[in-house]
Amino acid sequence: MKVLIVEDEKTLAYEMEDFLKKAFYICDLAHNIKDGLDKIEANSYDFILLDLGLPDGDGLSLLPKAKKHNPDAAYIILTARGNLEDRIAGLDLGADDYLPKPFSLLELQSRMQAISRRKFNVKEELLPLGTFSLDLQKRMIFFNADQIELSRKEFDLLSYLFLHSNRVLTRMQLSEHIWGTFADDDYDSNYIDAHIKNIRKKLNAWAPTDFLETVRGVGYRIKK
Amino acid sequence: MKLSSKLILFITGSKLAVVLLFIISLPFLVDGIVSEYTNYSLRRQQEKVISIVNKNGVNHYLQGDNSYGSYTMLKEEYIALEPDSQNLHIDTIKVAQRLVEKDTLTYRILIHTFNYKHKNYLLEIGKTTTSINQYNKPLQRIALFVLMGLIALSLLFDLLFTRILIRPLGKIISSKLINRKFPFKDHSPPVQTSTDDFKYLDESLILLMDQINDAFEKEREFTANASHELMTPISILQNKMENLIDDEELSDAAIMRIVEMMKTLNRLKKISNALLLISRIENEQFAKSYTARPIDLVNEVIEEISHRLEEKNLTITVRLEVEKALTGINKDLLFQLFYNLINNAIKYNVENGSILIESKVSAQGDDVIILSDTGIGISADELPFIFDRFRKTNLSENVGHGLGLSIVKSIGLYHNIDIQVKSMPGTGTTFTLTFPKETYKTKA
Repeated sequence: MKVLIVEDEKTLAYEMEDFLKKAFYICDLAHNIKDGLDKIEANSYDFILLDLGLPDGDGLSLLPKAKKHNPDAAYIILTARGNLEDRIAGLDLGADDYLPKPFSLLELQSRMQAISRRKFNVKEELLPLGTFSLDLQKRMIFFNADQIELSRKEFDLLSYLFLHSNRVLTRMQLSEHIWGTFADDDYDSNYIDAHIKNIRKKLNAWAPTDFLETVRGVGYRIKK
Repeated sequence: MKLSSKLILFITGSKLAVVLLFIISLPFLVDGIVSEYTNYSLRRQQEKVISIVNKNGVNHYLQGDNSYGSYTMLKEEYIALEPDSQNLHIDTIKVAQRLVEKDTLTYRILIHTFNYKHKNYLLEIGKTTTSINQYNKPLQRIALFVLMGLIALSLLFDLLFTRILIRPLGKIISSKLINRKFPFKDHSPPVQTSTDDFKYLDESLILLMDQINDAFEKEREFTANASHELMTPISILQNKMENLIDDEELSDAAIMRIVEMMKTLNRLKKISNALLLISRIENEQFAKSYTARPIDLVNEVIEEISHRLEEKNLTITVRLEVEKALTGINKDLLFQLFYNLINNAIKYNVENGSILIESKVSAQGDDVIILSDTGIGISADELPFIFDRFRKTNLSENVGHGLGLSIVKSIGLYHNIDIQVKSMPGTGTTFTLTFPKETYKTKA
C-alpha cells in the first residue's frame, strides 16, 4: 500500500513514515500543499494522510483537488485543531476519517486497516491466530468451526494486539484504544489484566494461548 | 433598603420633626406675639392719655374729682388715673389682680407715673388676661392647618422629584447589574441622564465590564492557543516513544523507562485536552441541537465505567424517568458531564459503597437530578473551590488532573444547568443538577 504523508512538522512526518514502513507501507512525504499536490498528480496513492495547518494554506483546500487525481485514495485528516467544524468540513469534503492530534501511531494504523477492509473491499479470509482464526469484519473468533463468545471489549483488545502482532502494547496504549478519551488516569490499574485473563480463560478452553504473551512490567504482545 | 425608600423616609421624617417642633413651640410663640401686641396697644393708649392730658389738662379726666376710673362693660379693660401722693417714679407693665366692682380679675396692667403741673399722677391701664388669650387657640389651630397643608404639598413635590432624580440609578442597576450573566457579551446602551454622578457610574460600569470581558477573552484565547500549540510537540514525543519502544536493541530497563515517560506524556496530553475542551465550551463551539434522555446518558456512562464499579464492589441505583428528555443540548458534553460526576462518585467512594442517581422535584418546583455517593466527602472549607481548575481536594495521592469538575462547571454553564453540591466528610457528597424548564421536559 502506498501512503502520502502531508505534514509540515518534519519530525512528526519521519516518525509516521518510520512506523508505517515497519508495517509494510510505502511512504512519500510532503511538507506543504504545493509539494503534496505535485506528488498526488504524479503518483497514485492508497492513503493520503493530511495535516490541516500547513505553511501555504489550509490542508482542507487540498482535498477537492487531490480527489480529482486520486479519487480512489483514502483520506485521513490529522490535525491539532480538533474542532467540530473542521471535522464536519473534512468529512463533507470526502475525507474517510479524522484523527485529532496527538494520536497514537497504533491507532492510526488500526484506522487505516479498518478503512482498507471497508473501502478497498479487501476480502480477508479468516486470519490465523495460533490454532484459532479471526474474522475482523464480523468481529468473531473461531476454533475450527466453533465460534467463541468474547465480549465487545475483549474482542477489541485481542484484535488490536493481533493487528500489531510482534509489538509490545503497554497497558496504557490498550486502555486508550478501548476507552478512548475516557481511559482512566490510573494506568497501573488492572482492568486490562482482568480482560486479558478472561480472554485467556475463554480461549484456553479450546487450545493453548502461548501466542498471547505477558511482557513483565510493560504490557502484552501477540507473537506470530 | 433601597435608596428611594431611604430618601422618602428621611424626607418624611425630617418634615414630621419640623411639624413637631412647631407644634411644641406654637403656644409659646403665640403667647409671645400676643403679649408683645398687648404691651404695644397699652403703650399706645398711655400715649393717647398723656397727649390728651397735655392738651386739655388733667381735669379732662378728673373733672374735679380726686380720681378717675373707667372700665368696659365686661370689665375686660379699665383705666384709672389718680394723684400719686408718694413721689415714686414707675413705668412698668405687669400682671396683677385688681378688684373691680367686687370681682377680682387678673389684668395685664400698665402702670405709669407722670408729672403734671407739679403734681404727680398715677395712670393704670389694664386688660384682662382672659381677653388677651382668647385668640390664642384659634390662632394656633389656623397656623397648624396652614403648616400641615404646606408640608403635605412640599412632601408631594419632594417625592415626585426624588423619583425622577433617582430613576436613572434604577435603570443602571436593572440594565447593568441585575440578570447580567458572565461573560457580558450583550452590550447594554448607556443610560440617559443629566446627573453627572449617574453618568459617571454608568460609564464606569460599562468600562469595567468591557475590561472584564477583555481579560476573559484574552485568558480564553491564551488557554486555547497554549493547549493547541502543545499538541504538536506532544504528538512528536508520543510517536517517537511509540517507535522507540519497539526497538529490539533496547534493554528491559530502558523499555520500562520509556513506559514511564509515556505515562507522564499522557498526563500532559490529558491536561492539554481538558483545557482545550473547556476553552472550546467557553467559545461555544459545540452545537446544542440534540435531544437525549438522561436515563440513556447515565446508562451509557455506567456501561462504559462498569469495570470500575465492580472493582470497588459499588452498588449503583438509577431512578430516572423514562419519559423525560433533555432538548437543545449537546449530547457529547452531557455525556461528559454525567461521566465526570459518576467517575468522581466512584473514585472517591469506599469499598462496598453506593451511588444513587435519581430525579426529583425541588422545593422550588424545579426538576432536578441528584447524584449522591457514600464517598469520603469534601470538607466545608474545600467545598467552595472544587470547581476551580487544578484544585484537588481530599487527595493523599495524585489522582486525576484536577480539571474534571471544571469541565462539569463549563458544561453546566453552557447549558444553563445550575449545579449545587453538598458534602459531609466521611458520609458522602451530593450533586444537585437543576435544568432549565425549557430544556428538561416530558417527551411529546
